[in-house]
Parts: sequence; structure tokens; C-alpha cells
Amino acid sequence: MAEIVIEVNNLAKYFPVTRGIFRRKKIADVKAVDGVSFTIHKGETLGLVGESGCGKTTLGKCILQLYRPTSGEVIFEGKDLCEMSDKELVPVRQKLQVIFQDPYDSLDPRFTALDIIGEPLQIHKISKGKEYNDRVAELMNLVGLAPYMAERYPHEFSGGQRQRLGIARALALQPEFIMCDEPISALDVSIQAQIINLLDDLQQKFGVAYLFISHDLSVVRHISDRVIVMYLGKVMEISNRDELYKNPLHPYTQALLSAVPIPDPAVEMNREVIVLQGEVPSPMNPPTGCVFHPRCYRAFKDCPKIIPLLADAGGGHQVACLLYKTSWP
Amino acid sequence: MAIAIKSTKAFERPHHSLWGDAIVRLRRNYFAMIGLGFIVLLAIAAICAPLITHYGFADQHLTEILQGPSWKHWMGTDQLGRDTFARLLYGARTSLAVGIFTQFIVICIGLPVGASAGYMGGRVDNYIMRFVDIMYAFPDILLIILLRSVLGGSIYMLFLAIGLVGWVNIARLVRGQIMSLKSRDYISAAKAMGGMGRYITWRHLLPNSLGPIIVSVTFNVPRAIFTEAALSYIGIGVKPPTPSWGAMIQDGFNLIFSKPYMLLFPAIALALLMLAFTFLGDGLRDALDPKLRR
Amino acid sequence: MTPLLQVRNIKTYFHTQDGVVKAVDGVSYDVERGETIALVGESGCGKTVSALSILRLVAEPAGKIMSGEILFDKVDLLKLSDEEMRKMRGAKISIIFQEPLTSLNPVLTIGRQISEGLEFHKNMSVPEGMQEATRLLKLVGIPHPERRVYDYPHQFSGGMRQRAMIAIAIACQPQLIIADEPTTVVDVTIQAQLLELIKNITKEHNTSLILITHNLGIVARYAKRVFVMYAGNIVEYGSAMDVYHSPCHPYTAGLLASVPRLDEPRKTRLQPIEGQPPDLIAPPMGCSFQDRCGYCIGECQKETPHLSEVTPNHYAACCVSQKGSRQWQKSS
Repeated sequence: MAEIVIEVNNLAKYFPVTRGIFRRKKIADVKAVDGVSFTIHKGETLGLVGESGCGKTTLGKCILQLYRPTSGEVIFEGKDLCEMSDKELVPVRQKLQVIFQDPYDSLDPRFTALDIIGEPLQIHKISKGKEYNDRVAELMNLVGLAPYMAERYPHEFSGGQRQRLGIARALALQPEFIMCDEPISALDVSIQAQIINLLDDLQQKFGVAYLFISHDLSVVRHISDRVIVMYLGKVMEISNRDELYKNPLHPYTQALLSAVPIPDPAVEMNREVIVLQGEVPSPMNPPTGCVFHPRCYRAFKDCPKIIPLLADAGGGHQVACLLYKTSWP
Repeated sequence: MAIAIKSTKAFERPHHSLWGDAIVRLRRNYFAMIGLGFIVLLAIAAICAPLITHYGFADQHLTEILQGPSWKHWMGTDQLGRDTFARLLYGARTSLAVGIFTQFIVICIGLPVGASAGYMGGRVDNYIMRFVDIMYAFPDILLIILLRSVLGGSIYMLFLAIGLVGWVNIARLVRGQIMSLKSRDYISAAKAMGGMGRYITWRHLLPNSLGPIIVSVTFNVPRAIFTEAALSYIGIGVKPPTPSWGAMIQDGFNLIFSKPYMLLFPAIALALLMLAFTFLGDGLRDALDPKLRR
Repeated sequence: MTPLLQVRNIKTYFHTQDGVVKAVDGVSYDVERGETIALVGESGCGKTVSALSILRLVAEPAGKIMSGEILFDKVDLLKLSDEEMRKMRGAKISIIFQEPLTSLNPVLTIGRQISEGLEFHKNMSVPEGMQEATRLLKLVGIPHPERRVYDYPHQFSGGMRQRAMIAIAIACQPQLIIADEPTTVVDVTIQAQLLELIKNITKEHNTSLILITHNLGIVARYAKRVFVMYAGNIVEYGSAMDVYHSPCHPYTAGLLASVPRLDEPRKTRLQPIEGQPPDLIAPPMGCSFQDRCGYCIGECQKETPHLSEVTPNHYAACCVSQKGSRQWQKSS
């Protein structure tokens, strides 16, 4: 297997909830991410799925140290990023980049396309003058934008084009890893496919690893090599892509897959939809034992009492569910 | 399979930046343009005062006191025989100078303080904001009077006094802007690229906060001018013989029944200047509001 | 039987700084009683504006319904006075908006917002209205409704807010509900809950439903007939089965081909529709899809194709399709 680019060990991020004006007393913790471990290999795409509140965006930001994790390690190039100061991280940041969800929000409205794409080059003082302009033009071509548009402002581009700008910016420093935080959710369906193909092509060309965060299971299946399913800050299941979709082990994964409607009326007519009851509980007060048990349609008496371990249930397919012997502590 | 045709045609609209767009919208606002015109005209007149009138602001013509408007003295004379029109013109210099210099001080203090509080958050923000709250609790005029007695009576100290009291508004505004912008994705992107605090504040946060700051400053100018007028009215503003519209109003007020024009001219002038700035400020606010763009 | 709603050749234009945006440019569709239809399309295609036009909620003075008729139970809604139209909204036709956070009044309790319609249309008193609101909250599946009826919108989660919106929409038992992207902001599992709820309610009361969405899967699961919109026009419509299995317009085919499907083997590459939707201020002459279509022939640039029947009860607005050729369909 290809070498490991990023290793995440027991990452946790808690946001304290405080009260009081002068002396802020902590009354609870929002456990956004609660003990997550996985690895990402060179040139692979790791899909991260889950619904809102599951902590996937927080996890992504923690890896990049945009949020500082409460505990755990993020190992990149042999060093733990959590232990490094902001200043020490600056050279490392060249190799770890981000693509955001909102093509409107992720670009400074007062920067031209040239400024936006070239900003990483400017921050790290990499090129100047003609070399700089050439590099930006090259990046624009790579993502399918015409270089003559470099003097335009974000509001003059469409959503899909802005996302391309964001991708060009992420590629400017030839990173080894890009965290893609729901990069296509805000785009139209017909544009989504364009961007997915672009990301695919760029990965083939440059061998960059992606953490692809999304709630869209169909898209994740298309682009990922391996997939992680999260719920309420914890990992429910990790597997390689085909195995997960063909044979989902965790009841949550099964419910998720069943809830996705398929664009074919004939297929839909004959499908059984698993409708989960209730709402996602608050991460301030997660359920005891298995965090999914209140909504689980296969829960039994031990589920509220024992926290299932994330363990290999066979063939590299990890699952955290008491239905499987391997998850019992 | 479908062939890709003209896949990246950008919209064919007139190409301009956000500032350009704001200027276009401002130009369409008649009131704002009238306000701006008036201010510019007054500024030019004030600067060219010696070319417009041959009277000095301190020239006393004791044989011609308290005269009404006439061909010789277009707006009449005051109780010391000084030409009112000349005093109005030179007084405009005072008013405009107050407006501009006080705001300069306000920005020099308010911007960095507000930016630090907003960007750093936490305890720094807490302490700064509590200090701002305390300053807010005192009435402006009282504080200025206090500062005047401490700093001395020159006109520059007047600017300083008004400025030292007025920065809190801007600080709060800047802090609010920066706090709301901090969480935007493009700020996270800049951090992810390796940008540090000062870079992000100067390159991203402040330029995007400028809109409301410009509007606030535009509204603060008439307030500062009025404050100076009020201070001069009660005698602790500009020292005579430097002309001040506030002092002229005070002089005029004493003679309101016998010589109403002495009060009318400076009062109307002050009102018009304040109105002009208010129109301009309103226009700027509408022009710079991104939501009103389309 | 006459359809409950007949939208005839509606044109809604927006007058902006840069020109006139032809958001809806000659759109017609029917909804039968008790039927669920879907308006599918991407952003900017005009589906939301056409629905808002039915309720005459288009933002004036910039937006204006220029021409056309909207016959609801044989009454032309566009000819009603403001007062008469207000009696329609909420009572006969109601709408569920996309974003409950901005559509709900943050300073009124949920109960009051539900009973507002009841007070206005059914002359209920406030206590009666609140009681009915409690019953409705229970119906839409909110636990402890007797307590939650006094809560404010910010105390509800996203999924629950949407349920509250559904309660507001069904309060006066309307004959037609318009659901404008009702589940775009919620997660997949909540989406399933909400859509099943809407389906059960409409089935029980024989309410007609116009489902507006860009999600082809939802349409396949819930709609009987589908109307595909592009750049302010309907480009294809028919039964869901017909449209999905034998699309007669290249845009529909392109959309269906560009979406990855969970039930099919994984493709190595997606088939996007290249390019972008056209500028609605200055649309190209001829077919609005020509820039992105791989099957253009000469006529496409000269005349705007009109909807015509290509197979029984299946209409498409495409020059190529009308000539009988359908190369984009997969040979099954």
C-alpha cells in the first residue's frame, strides 16, 4: 500500500460552553470530535460522510490546525502538527491545503482572481513578476479557466467558476494533501460533475491525497477509495469504498444508504426506506454507551451501557457496533 | 457524447470592481451628489477665502457695527463691525478642519484598538470593551470639557479632545465588523495558506470592513463640527478672534430679536453643512451596502 | 375532470440595474387534484419564481408577472384583488419554504405562527388557535407539542423547524401545497422523515403538491409527473417513468447522466454537462440550451423550440427530438 501521508490518532475537539460575565465558568463541553483515528495514504481519496453535527467539518479543520485539537495527534512528515506553533506551521502549510464549500464565502470579494490564486505564492514569497503571472495563468488553465479573466472579481464569476478558482488556489503550492470540505454541495447538479471530474484529473496528474468531506453518499462513492462514516463525533464505520456500499455493516450506514433516493422511479417504487426516528441528539449531551442507540432500529439492551470499539470485523472493514463481536471491549 | 462548447464563457456584464460599482451607485443618488457638491464648494471657498472677500475675519469697522445685509457687507456686520460673510468663510475653515482632523485622530486610535479587540478576542477583547463601555457611560461633552481644561486651549488641543472622546464609536464598529468577518471561509483559507494575524488583518479584514467605517466617519464629521460649535457657543471652543460658526451663533443669539440675521446666517450655514454630510453619508451607506448591489 | 391548477403561459420578469431578467418566460403546467408533480431544474431556471408567481409573492416593484393566467379551481388568480388573494394564501394554497430559519418570525412563538392563519382564515380566537396548533404539532411529529407550542423558532432544530413550517402550511387544510426545496437544508435522514410526512399528509387529505427541487432522486421517489425547467422555460414534461427512462430533451438526459447512482456500478468518469446556464437578460436566439448541447442542428440556433408531444403524454421542446431522433437515450 502507498505510504501514509497523514496519520490521525485519537483526535478530540471539545468546545467549552461557559456562563458568566467576568469569570467564565464551564458548564459543559460540546464534544464535536471525540476520539477519531485513521490514516490517509499518498494519492488516495478518503471520503468522510455524516450528517450535520457529526463533526466532519470540525475534524477537517483540526487536521489543518485551523482549530487546535483538544487532544490527540496529527502526524505529518514525522511531526505532530498539534505540537507545533502557528509560526512553525507556516512552511508546513504549503503542503496542506483546503477547498471550501461555499464558493461565495471562500474568496475575498475585494481580490481579483489573480490575487486570489496567487495569494499562497505571495505569502510564501515564492515568485514575483512575470514568473508569478505565468504560474497563475498556468493554474487557471489547469482548472479550466481562461487566463484573460485574471483581472475579474469573484462576483463576476459563476458558482462553478469560483470553485475552480478555489481549487487553483489550493494547487498553487503543489500540496500533498487537500482537505475538500463539501466542495460541490453549493453547486448545481450539472456543474457538480464537472468539478468532480476536475478533482479526479488533478489527483491523477499530481498524486495529491484528498480528504473528501460530504453528506452526498452517491458522490462520495464515486470519488473515494476508502470511506469513513461519522456520527456525533465518533467513527461508526471505515472501509474501502466498494465494500462499504455493497455490504454496510453499521445500522446507521444502512439507514443513510436507504435514505438516499435513487433517480429512477422504477427502482424507487420497489425500495424499502428505513426512516430513522427522532432527531440528532445535541453533542453537548451525547447518549451513553453507543451514541447512535436512541435512533437505532436494531438497538438492544446492552447498547446504552457499553461503548462499542471501532474494530476490524473482517477484511479491513472496521465497524463500531455491538452487533459485531469484535466491537465488544 | 456531448462536446464541450464554450465551457467557460463569463457573463458579459460591464466589468468593474466593488469600489467602482459603489461609485456608480453613489453618482446616481442626487441628494448625495448635492451634499458632496456643497461640501467641495464650501471647502474651495474656504481655502480661497482671501480671493473672494477683501475683508479679514478680524478686521473691525467700528463705524459700521451691526449693519444689515448691504452691497458693502453682503451679510452685514457683527457687534465689532466685522464682516459677517468673511467670518463665515473663514469660519468654514475652522469647521472643516475640525471635521477632518478629529476624524483622523479617531481613526488612528479607534481602528487599531477595535481591530485588536476583534481579532484577538478572549480576554484582550473583554478588557478593551469594558474600557470602551466605561467611556461610553460618560456624556461626550462633559468629557471633552474635562479634557479641554487639562490639555489647554489651543485649537490643536481641541481636535485632540474631540478625537480622544470620539474614537470609541469607531472602535466598537471595527471590532464588530472584524468579529463577523473572522469566521468567513476566505479568512480560514488565508490561515490555511500560512497567513498570520497581522497579514490577515491588513490584507483581508480591514479592507472588507471599510464600508461601514467610511459611513460612520462621514456621519461623525458633522457631529464633531457641531460639538465644536457647541463648545465655542459656551466659550471653550476656538479662541477669538479665530472665527467659529458656533461663536457666531452665540453672538447672534444675544441679539435674536433686534438683529435676527446675525443668528440666521451662521445657523443656516451650519445646518446646511451638517445636512450635506448627512446626505453624503446616507448615499455612501446605500452605495457601499453589498446587499443592495443587484 | 378539470385540473385544480392550470398555469397558462406565465411570464415573470425582473427589472434590474443591468436589464430585464426573464426569470419565467412562458411556462404552463397543470396539477390535478390530489396529484404530486415535480418542478425540476437547477438554480436560476425559474422554478421557484414560477411557484411564487402562483401565490403572487413575487418581489415588487422589480419583479412583475407580465402576462399569462393562473386558474385555480377555474378562478384566475392574477385577476383577483389583493384582499381576495390574501384569502387564498394559506387557506386554499400554501407554501413551505426552503429555509425555515428566515421564513419563521423569530419573535413569535411557533404556536402563534401556526394559529395566525387560523385566526385570519377561520376566525378562531387565540386560545382556539393555540389548541389547534398543538394538535398540528403532534400531527407533524413534534414530541411534547403542548410545551413546544410556546417555544420560539431558535429553540427548534432545523428538522423540527421544517416540521413547524409544514404544520403552518397544512393548518387551514389547503387544496394545494407548494413545497419549495423543502429539504435542501436538512440532512439525508431528516429529509427522508420530512418527505414521508408530506407524502402521508397529502395522501390523507387528497391535497395536491407541487414539489420544487433540483434533486432527481426525490422526484423519482415522490412525484407522479415531472416538469423539467431550464432557463425560464419548461423543456420537457411527462410521467416520471417516461421522463426518466426515455428522456426526450438533451438537458434531461444530460442531468440524469451526470448524477452518480448508488444502484449502478461505479463509472470511472462522470458525464457532466459542460458550460453554464445562459444569461437570462440576453438569452441566445433560438434554443436556450444550444451552447451546452452536443446534438445541435441548424434549426436550434434559429428558432426557439416549443413543447410538442413526442410520445403519448410526453412533451419536449427540442428541435432534434421533434424530428424523431433521440441519440442520447441509452439503448436498453
